[in-house]
Amino acid sequence: MRYKWYLPYLFILLAMVGLFVFRLGPLFFAGGMSFTDWSMFGSPGWVGLENYIEFVKDPTFWKIVWHTISFSLIFVPIILFGSLILAVLLNQGIPGTTTFRAMYFAPVVTSTVAVGIVWRWIFGADVGMLNFLLRTLGIESPPSWLSDRQFSLVVVALVFAWKRLGYYMIIYLAGLQDIPRTMYEAARIDGAGALAIFRKITLPLITPTMFFVMIMALVDSFKNFDIVYTMTRGGPGTASTTLAYYIYQHAFELFQMGQAASLSMFLLVIVGGISVLNFVYKSRWVNTQG
Amino acid sequence: MSKSKKIILYTLLVLIAIVNVFPFYWMLSISLQPLKAVYAYPPQFYPKHPTLDNYRQIFVKYNFFRFTINSLFIATIAALGQLFTCSIAGFAFARMKFRGKELLFGLILATIMVPLEVVIIPEFLLMGKLGWINTYLPMIVPSFLIGTTGVFLMRSFYENVPKELEEAAVVDGASPFMIYWRIFIPVSRASLSALFIISFLINWNAFLRPLIYLNSKKLYTLTLGLISFVGEFSALWNFLLAGAVVSVVPIFTVYLLMQRQFIEGITSTGVKG
Repeated sequence: MRYKWYLPYLFILLAMVGLFVFRLGPLFFAGGMSFTDWSMFGSPGWVGLENYIEFVKDPTFWKIVWHTISFSLIFVPIILFGSLILAVLLNQGIPGTTTFRAMYFAPVVTSTVAVGIVWRWIFGADVGMLNFLLRTLGIESPPSWLSDRQFSLVVVALVFAWKRLGYYMIIYLAGLQDIPRTMYEAARIDGAGALAIFRKITLPLITPTMFFVMIMALVDSFKNFDIVYTMTRGGPGTASTTLAYYIYQHAFELFQMGQAASLSMFLLVIVGGISVLNFVYKSRWVNTQG
Repeated sequence: MSKSKKIILYTLLVLIAIVNVFPFYWMLSISLQPLKAVYAYPPQFYPKHPTLDNYRQIFVKYNFFRFTINSLFIATIAALGQLFTCSIAGFAFARMKFRGKELLFGLILATIMVPLEVVIIPEFLLMGKLGWINTYLPMIVPSFLIGTTGVFLMRSFYENVPKELEEAAVVDGASPFMIYWRIFIPVSRASLSALFIISFLINWNAFLRPLIYLNSKKLYTLTLGLISFVGEFSALWNFLLAGAVVSVVPIFTVYLLMQRQFIEGITSTGVKG
């Protein structure tokens, strides 16, 4: 292929505008904003590290950091093991697999808003389905779930896990299908039981996928704005406010853009840290096959 | 597999299926009932006198028809744009030589994981400067131009296209754009449709951008229409869930028709990206 030197740059032009104007540019701009008292009104002034110091001194901020971590601690293990179980069940090659797979995947294509609304109804304190069932079982005063400080964050994280399980199930299925059938057959001829096959063949060979799923799920767990907004709006009080929601609140409800930008830097550092971890330790932790 | 093992397996599969499908069943069931039935105690497990009245109301009175059209328009244009941006850039990264190629591609990869919440604040200010607030443009333009995983996916695919295909066209005197358009686009139809599906889904379900950029009701997307509905009629579950059904049906239809592409899209953008 012959072409003028500048032609490749024309080919990547649109992607580069996207990269610099809507990704890298805003990233650095947000970094700069985090050192100002930028608000929607009035002119911004330089405040140095003040935004960061204020947050570090503020107990509410630490509460929100803890909520964010709790969310991940609930979400990631469910995804890591739950979707593996789904995938292993579907990988047995029995009739009806495609139908079950389609059903398990349905929540993934549904918008978070629709998911949030229907689960709000299920978890509703008075008319909700869940509390009706609990009352039928004889529990006289079931919790009011989403308006209860103790439960709201847990419920939101569980619902988000419910929505995302099918996605990771597909990734695990792809990993499982890479394991050669002959290995299973050989093990079966040697008289290995289902559990032994899972422990000695499936588990070691699926570790690279598990590691990948863990990293993806961890990053996913911080992108919880949509589900928090639809289910609780961070409430009651700040009981289910996470970092992503807190950023939104500061930027678009309180219009404190500078403070919001410094909050977003915390999020960036966390996600960036996970990506670096992924990059560095991938080869060391994981038993790669061929 | 022994018979008892099969029974256990199917029991597990069905139990999980119930947990997955139950909320959708309730969504549909309640959307077909009048409000009085929704608040009946004990709750009805199926609509005794099903009615489409809720749907008539939300379409006629509450603009849901318009919201649906808006969502369709935004998601289609954004996804088509992303296809073009990603495939042409992927082609250049895979088949052409130029200075800074590795660096630029590395930068694209490095930004894959950046959460939208981090870049949204400067983006909002930029959209304000451009005068694009309360238009469709903030929902379309960034998605049109950003396709980090898409560029990665298309590059991987194009790297494996045999050289002979390209050389035959070079002999015929085709320009690089012609080679991209006439040869590479057709051979990558499967990857492109997988990418389209994933991109359409993301834009159809997008929430944060519509929430901060749109003020006039007539521009609302389905997700935003639905959430504003929650604010206005928080106790009218029959309307809310009818709205949820409306937002789910189009994407389910696409999903059931194109299941294979969905799965492919996830495994190729997910596993490698």
